[in-house]
Amino acid sequence: MAVDRLTSQRTEGSVEGGKTAGWWAGSSLRPIIYGLLVVGALIQVYPIFFLLMNTFKTDTQILNTPFSLPTNFSLAPFVDVWTGERTGMFFGRYFFNSVIVLAATLVLMLAISCLCGYAMARGQFPGNGTLHQALLLSLAVPAHALAIPLYFFVGSLGLRNSLFGLTLVYAALGAPFTIILMRAYFMHLPVELEEAARIDGCGRLGVFLRIVVPISRGPIAGMAIININWIWSELFFSLILMNKADVRTLPLAIALYKPAPMTVETVLGLQYAAMAIATIPVLILFFIFQRQIASGMTMGAFK
Amino acid sequence: MRNLKNALPWYLFIAPASLMLMALMAYPLFDTLRLSLFKWGGLGPQTFVGMRNFSKLLGDEIFWRALSNSFIFAIVVPFVTVSVGLFLGVAISRRMKGWQVYRIAFFIPVMMSGVVVATLWANMFEFNHGLFNTVLRGIGLDGLAQNWLGDRNVALMSVMLVPIWQSVGFPMIVLLAAIEGIPQEMHDAATMDGVNEWQRIWGLIVPLIKPVLASITMLSIIGAMKVFDIVLVMTKGGPAFSTQVLGYYLFETAFRSGNFGYGSAIAVVMFAVVFAVAYGYVKGVRIESVEY
Repeated sequence: MAVDRLTSQRTEGSVEGGKTAGWWAGSSLRPIIYGLLVVGALIQVYPIFFLLMNTFKTDTQILNTPFSLPTNFSLAPFVDVWTGERTGMFFGRYFFNSVIVLAATLVLMLAISCLCGYAMARGQFPGNGTLHQALLLSLAVPAHALAIPLYFFVGSLGLRNSLFGLTLVYAALGAPFTIILMRAYFMHLPVELEEAARIDGCGRLGVFLRIVVPISRGPIAGMAIININWIWSELFFSLILMNKADVRTLPLAIALYKPAPMTVETVLGLQYAAMAIATIPVLILFFIFQRQIASGMTMGAFK
Repeated sequence: MRNLKNALPWYLFIAPASLMLMALMAYPLFDTLRLSLFKWGGLGPQTFVGMRNFSKLLGDEIFWRALSNSFIFAIVVPFVTVSVGLFLGVAISRRMKGWQVYRIAFFIPVMMSGVVVATLWANMFEFNHGLFNTVLRGIGLDGLAQNWLGDRNVALMSVMLVPIWQSVGFPMIVLLAAIEGIPQEMHDAATMDGVNEWQRIWGLIVPLIKPVLASITMLSIIGAMKVFDIVLVMTKGGPAFSTQVLGYYLFETAFRSGNFGYGSAIAVVMFAVVFAVAYGYVKGVRIESVEY
């Protein structure tokens, strides 16, 4: 049921074509509630607007006239932090580090999770129930509790300061949740097509790759969207595993932002530009996949 | 034998995920438990000290500070976000005019990275030129201008404002979906009984979405227990440990001071606390419970 939310068009059937005036249409509280909503929305949006505007302002303007709008919309601060020539902070590189880790994590995590979730939904084998229980329990383990041994283990594999090492850790951290949801989805998937292919002599893996994966593109994409947010924002493991400057991911680079002294006249403006570089892709993604993100978040909470 | 032959392909399917989770989750978890009984600087021999790390924790004032701050976080932040989220969810449900705008406005911060949000707020809280003090001084309330992150009586409150601001949209969006899932017939029946909107909220909506409300509260509590990014960026646990939390104290102890055994003991406590809350959640909340 919860999984359907990810695939179906709209599930809010009960309000389809319903009233648009809301609960409060006839209530005397209406002005107060509208007032609270407007003020609340401004409080939510203004800091983001403030962030984006400050990328175009000089430090003096940011500090002395915080509410003024920028006077010229030059992209120079973005170029400065992106190339790092004057700042010593190479946000172009950090951006691509983040993109690489994000893409690799999604591919690896979705591959192992779909395989595992499919086997758990379809297969009858000793240990299936135990595995499900173990996965549910693992959702309750805070990642911080794994950090110290992981730091040494990843180090012993020679994967500290490696984007691949970070990818492995992220894929493992995200896998239990993804497996559980993919398993629930596969259990609702009609089995007839797969049985027909089996009779035609297709092996288990062949059925999975040729039939199950293609018809599950929607939910798989949905799982990717749900996971993008935390992978893009993750700081803790990036901080402990990535000590060298050139392998930093965006959140880590922003947390450690410290431009080379005396080389730039604006410090804050560049910091805001770096923050915008991390934020703008997420905002674009949000506007494209709004509905899927909302239903994915909802699904996670219903789990 | 036949069974085993049938099962074999399935074991190959689950092998990659199982191996990865064994190596990167199960093994580290057990190793954390083991290390918590040792004294270890990261290099060289590990000295077995039994429960001494834990007895040291009992007398460690910073640890108690971190633990109680984590609990304050886990109570205040979810309480505010879920209450405000419920208000927002009810207020914008039923496709009221402009609901899309409000939904987007409140949800955008949820999508942003914690580091960016924390850096942004740290700049706004800044004493001399930050947005808050500039506004307060501008309207003549100089007395209310605070050293938001530098005053030990105010810092924890300031830091907690940030996850509240960032995450109110999350309970809102989840509760909105639950509220809109309530069948129209129930509303019609309530309307025929002549309830007012207040009774509709507390007598109909809240009881029906209670499982979702419980679930979102638990998720928020677990999230607040794990707070780290915001503390690292904004205060580093200071001033005078007034914003120290478990996650950050663990990080400092292990990765800054190099006390990996003692750090593991903090990790074990953090694990126990989060696991207790989360276990109740995983056991108690089922998908079925939100069906009508």
